[in-house]
Amino acid sequence: MKILVINAGSSSVKYQLYNMKDESVLAKGLVERIGMDSSIVTHKPTGRSEVTEVSEILEHTAAIRKVLGLLTDSEHGVIGSIDEIEAVGHRVVHGGEFFSESALVDGDAKTKIRQLFDLAPLHNPASMMGIKAAEANMPNVPQVVVFDTAFHQTMPEHAYLYAIPRVLYHKHKVRRYGAHGTSHDFVSKAAAEFLNRPIEDLKIISCHIGNGASITAVKDGHSIDTSMGMTPLEGLMMGTRSGDLDPAIVPYVMNKEDLTVNEVNSMLNKHSGLLAISGISSDMREITDGVAQGDANSTLAFEMYTYRLRKYIGSYAAALNGVDVITFTAGAGENSVVLRKKVCENLTYLGVELDEKLNEIRSGEPRRISSANSKVEVLVIPTNEELVIARDTFRIVQGLES
Amino acid sequence: MYFKKIGVIGGGTMGQGIAEMLAARGLDVLLVEKTPERLEYSYSLIETSLDKQLEKWAITQAEKKLILGRIQKVVHLAELGSCDMVIETISEDLDAKKQVFAQLDQVCPNHIILASNTSSLSLTELASSTMYPERVIGMHFIHPVGKVDLVEIIRGLKTSDTTFSETKRFVEEVVHKKGVMVYESPGFVTSRMICLMINEALHILQEGVASAEDIDDAMRIGYQFQYGPLEMADRFGLDSILAALDRMFREFGELKYRPSIVLKKMVRAGHLGVKTGEGFFKYDKDGDRI
Repeated sequence: MKILVINAGSSSVKYQLYNMKDESVLAKGLVERIGMDSSIVTHKPTGRSEVTEVSEILEHTAAIRKVLGLLTDSEHGVIGSIDEIEAVGHRVVHGGEFFSESALVDGDAKTKIRQLFDLAPLHNPASMMGIKAAEANMPNVPQVVVFDTAFHQTMPEHAYLYAIPRVLYHKHKVRRYGAHGTSHDFVSKAAAEFLNRPIEDLKIISCHIGNGASITAVKDGHSIDTSMGMTPLEGLMMGTRSGDLDPAIVPYVMNKEDLTVNEVNSMLNKHSGLLAISGISSDMREITDGVAQGDANSTLAFEMYTYRLRKYIGSYAAALNGVDVITFTAGAGENSVVLRKKVCENLTYLGVELDEKLNEIRSGEPRRISSANSKVEVLVIPTNEELVIARDTFRIVQGLES
Repeated sequence: MYFKKIGVIGGGTMGQGIAEMLAARGLDVLLVEKTPERLEYSYSLIETSLDKQLEKWAITQAEKKLILGRIQKVVHLAELGSCDMVIETISEDLDAKKQVFAQLDQVCPNHIILASNTSSLSLTELASSTMYPERVIGMHFIHPVGKVDLVEIIRGLKTSDTTFSETKRFVEEVVHKKGVMVYESPGFVTSRMICLMINEALHILQEGVASAEDIDDAMRIGYQFQYGPLEMADRFGLDSILAALDRMFREFGELKYRPSIVLKKMVRAGHLGVKTGEGFFKYDKDGDRI
């Protein structure tokens, strides 16, 4: 069975086509900068050369149409016809308390995902666009949704409740859900495997540092706390999101600037974070370039970003009463040498000792970047949410057929 | 019925608001004005409106570009043949509207819903200018369209159940606003009530019971109105209020709809409210109170 995995973000669509016979990837790629005039499509058929195209792609529907075109392209394609795709798996950020596991897409599931738009204003609408675009292009192909919140359902009550009137939890399900669960789950298991140690013996702090960023404390293979809250806005400073802030700022600013709820929501989600402080970009690569060129605003943004990340690592070391492994994953986590260096150089009190040479190696493989003397293993583990999604999709669609 | 491409006829305040709101919801919009110049002007005002939202962090640059990209400029009604729905929102002139509907009736396939954003004219009469009156309906949006999540859906005498239910679905599921069903009657629910309240505020002002400022504060603070009735009138445009009251006065024949003398004087003096910078209060070019 061939399964197309779609990970639709706010301005990007990642895709992978799996052959589930051997879990091999037939092709994968990424559509970046959707909504801008120079959208970049990178398509990589396995074992063949990568194709990059720059064009204007203004929305997700067009992005997926483009992807399907490339998959069936006579030169760069890997399948003869779209009909060979027997199922589609989607990453969805927020499953709320509706979804404790992956689910088949039907009217009910779509309604529930839509009901959760308020909780993940940047992501669930994008996932929905992905689902609709896939539906439009491939009617009658079963689709499965895999939720980023599912892994964090193991968080204990004392970690997921907010210290506000409990009636808000009972009436409106106001609680912490976390995100990037598929990634934290995959990475913590991969870390244990890499170290060849049972996951039950490990206290892991998993740092998922992409355009969205979150950090999770994993004990016995289970999430016991994570930095994202009811929505993906809480926790670390991110590309365009503020992360933690004094909630009293919200009504204060709304009053002073005469803002509506939507406007303040958009401000915190789309106009804050690295973008707001640097004034240049929400992209860590451009920020670290700015730092290298001595740009003061980029430097401040980088300082704030890494400082906040380090504080979270410290607090999760406390939550776990120690830490055996710190993992870095996702865009900046896997690729930004300076980011990892900056974070780790002030964690010596935990016994972290970074090996600068190892840290500078670029590779797509799981690797250790701490020295032999380090009391904490520091690893870079490329995440593979797509594989988890493909496996779940395969399992659910097979169940349907039998 | 599938709604993806919507025609909007008329690029005035309401037309701009409707076109921008539809495009922001991901729909393709064909915006029609009589001349290329007027079309450009309407489009530039939509851009200004989006810039204001950008300043308030409501949208991003990319979103602004996307929204504008979905609005196509059109000068001839004949180009609306491919639309999944058409919304007419030209000035409140019955004959002009009838002419538009007669033309649309020729251009659009007979299952396509033809809606009018009229706030007071008779839908039944508009529909009478077409061969398929069952697909004609009223969709009354309220200014500012992007912020007010209510649409009055008005049934004319011959409007079919399908036309109504599909329009309601469009309003609630596609553009995500609340649709209330209204049977044809001058001023429907919203204009009839709000114009009467504004008119009463003007009587209070005229009688010297309270100052404009105090009348507005009383209603704004006392009853949690976003704007008091007089500022509301300034924002709607005093000429529109006068026209609406005049029509209701004529149609119902009841004295309570007779426009206040103060209102007539203001309109004659050219003090139309926010759009002229002065009404009961003064405004800057961004429409903020001075």
